[in-house]
Amino acid sequence: MCGMAWEGYATMAFAPIDETINIDQLTRDPYSIYRRLRAEAPVVTVKSIGRTLLTKAADTRAVKDNAALFSNNDPNTPMQRAFQAHTLMRKDGEEHMRERMAMTPTFSPANLKTLWIPAYEKLAGEYLDRLPRDEVVDLFPALAGPLAARILAIILGIPDATDEEMQYWSQALIDGAGNFGYADEPFARVDACHAAMNAMVESRVPLLKAEPDQSALSVMINAEDPIPFSQVLANLKIAIGGGINEPRDSLLTVLFGLLTNPDQLDEIKRTGNWSTAFEEGLRWVAPIQASSRCAREDTQIRGVDIRKGEILMTVQASANHDEELFEDGHLYNALRPKSPHQSFGSGPHHCMGTHLARATIGKIMLPMIFERFPDMQLVEPEKVVWWGFGFRGPLSLPVKLN
Amino acid sequence: MPKITFVSPEGGRTTVEASDGDSVMQTALANGVEGIVAECGGAMMCATCHCYVDEDWLARTGTASDEERSMLDFAASEVRPESRLSCQITVTGDLDGLTVHLPDAQI
Repeated sequence: MCGMAWEGYATMAFAPIDETINIDQLTRDPYSIYRRLRAEAPVVTVKSIGRTLLTKAADTRAVKDNAALFSNNDPNTPMQRAFQAHTLMRKDGEEHMRERMAMTPTFSPANLKTLWIPAYEKLAGEYLDRLPRDEVVDLFPALAGPLAARILAIILGIPDATDEEMQYWSQALIDGAGNFGYADEPFARVDACHAAMNAMVESRVPLLKAEPDQSALSVMINAEDPIPFSQVLANLKIAIGGGINEPRDSLLTVLFGLLTNPDQLDEIKRTGNWSTAFEEGLRWVAPIQASSRCAREDTQIRGVDIRKGEILMTVQASANHDEELFEDGHLYNALRPKSPHQSFGSGPHHCMGTHLARATIGKIMLPMIFERFPDMQLVEPEKVVWWGFGFRGPLSLPVKLN
Repeated sequence: MPKITFVSPEGGRTTVEASDGDSVMQTALANGVEGIVAECGGAMMCATCHCYVDEDWLARTGTASDEERSMLDFAASEVRPESRLSCQITVTGDLDGLTVHLPDAQI
């Protein structure tokens, strides 16, 4: 009796288990699920994905900020297989920091100011120039995807990779890393991409050894105490896998938000507060919706027992809609009172592209596109499909320019 | 325990107790002081824990290192000689009574 009572008590203290939520629902309409979870079960184990979801802002932030207790090393994901490497995204402490710091010089404030931001500004003008006027154009494939690919190829030090290659590689890495069913096709596709990416990178090494620049590849291979070449490749692939969809999806999301709220757009045009409009888009639909962490020890979150080894999904998408911080969080509102969102993550794995994104999209692209096309109109916005659980954004953004 | 006072842009003062060895940023977060965001959690990789050290205290806190100064380029509010990233100021008994002013915006 005693044992049973104890078991009953122990079961009560662990996170409740939800057996109704599935990955399809989370892919199509995660926000209504998260709203319910925030109210009813903010720490909940979702059986179909085998992970415990944290949906409150205070909890997602606290877990990410406490790297001593919550590891990035989620051992049972297809990511390592997809990336053919154990990458810095899944490492902790000194090991993570060494690989991260290998790339940080590229993203220094000085390099952003003198190299990457001016390069982006020029490219943005060129890519906008070539958009067709007076016909419906989908800004996903015509602008947001290729522009994100181009600036990334330059910053990484592989400028010969085409926009199409960069986007194809990126999607293959994402699909492989998300291949939780371990199907053959995504792995076969990403394996083929590795061969192409490795060849592209290796072809650049002698050139960058001879003439170093500030690109990520150059900085990593020319460092005094370089990281192993396998990790140079892994770092570049992490950047390729994450560095296209995020700027692409955030730009499309902000444009959708502004174009469906013309009164807000008018006010932003008047104030020039494009950065705020950008941050609101990131808050509204976080391009990376959730990030996993592994409990290193038995612990508690919000009074719920968490076992050592339990995998937690910190759902920043939900944190960004938390009623405790945001009124009507499900609505895009570029004029809402400022409150920090968590879309760039926090703690030691805080997004390395944060400053670049804020400077390029928030400060350059948004004012530039509305200056060029002040009467840009969304075409049938109700038909735009929003998609994704781990990564999320609109699948198209058809507009008429003028 | 050393006491630290945070002054909001509107002039509101919040005084909290800090633990020796914590950063000023950690002290703010632990006490729910608004106006310090600290996205990167103290790794000097963002500039969202920007503060202005009260001039009476500058001699004791010191000024920003070169690396910190460089990261302050990303700060959302005006950078002044007394600007610091609060994650880079470690609380010691010597800083009991420290006053820092918070900027208008961190993002």
